[in-house]
Amino acid sequence: MARKAQENPALDMTPMIDVVFELIIFFVVTLTEAQRKDETIELEDGRHGIALTPEELPPTHMQIDINAKGRISMGDRTLTPDEVQRRVAERKKKLGGAEFPIIIRADFATQHKDVAKVMNACTAAGIWKLSFMAVGEDKTNERKRLKRVR
Amino acid sequence: MAKKEQENPALDMTPMIDVVFELIIFFVVTIKQEDLFSRLNVNRPAPASSSSPSDSSDDITVNIEIGRRYDNSANGVIVYNKKALGGPTGSASQARRELDQYLKDIARTSKKTPIIVKCEETSPHKALVDVLDICYKNELFSVSVFTM
Repeated sequence: MARKAQENPALDMTPMIDVVFELIIFFVVTLTEAQRKDETIELEDGRHGIALTPEELPPTHMQIDINAKGRISMGDRTLTPDEVQRRVAERKKKLGGAEFPIIIRADFATQHKDVAKVMNACTAAGIWKLSFMAVGEDKTNERKRLKRVR
Repeated sequence: MAKKEQENPALDMTPMIDVVFELIIFFVVTIKQEDLFSRLNVNRPAPASSSSPSDSSDDITVNIEIGRRYDNSANGVIVYNKKALGGPTGSASQARRELDQYLKDIARTSKKTPIIVKCEETSPHKALVDVLDICYKNELFSVSVFTM
């Protein structure tokens, strides 16, 4: 019993600190993952599209951002259409030639020719099925685009 | 010392539970503000054939044509089987409603009808997403996108 009383002051904090660190690490990791995208992009509404959930998408999917000015990026890197084509081809090769979902996240004001560049790059790399990302359900209710001058 | 030993089993958990609840509540509140996203799938023709999509008359062709701006253009916002939608003023919202009507009729006949969307280079991406959304609304899922 004397042993237990001696250990207790230290044991008090350990599980709390463990759990708190675990949670902090978990959320930091998920947050940085979510933030690695072009924040300037505002999507058009597409309420009838297929709901985009992490469970529905295989981990092999690829997301390509295109902002209103036509800047193509993946994660935080700006890419040229040729680099997109190379990356798609590499991914396809790694998967043994299997198709994988490509999600194009383009701003509502992006000109079609900039979207077409990315679509052509994907097609040239052998992926013919593409998806466009849209807003399925507007939860934030603060669509800046309504104020944006067109 | 005897008093402390008696209290310890209960005191052990309290700060941990407090902090965990606090964190859970904080993150639930912050995460809730995300939009839910959807995706609209399209097919892309092989580069070689992209110049000549089939022009047979039983194919439905939905053209998006935007020389001006999609939302307040004079006319020709959406051309459906060579017919400009949106009335004389070419209002985009009216064009969307008309297209919805046409596609509803198409979907009643066959939901496998292939749809070809041709986009002009300067058209905004918004117009394409709007048309795709209307196709999905009417459960027409085989949509191909061309660039004019």
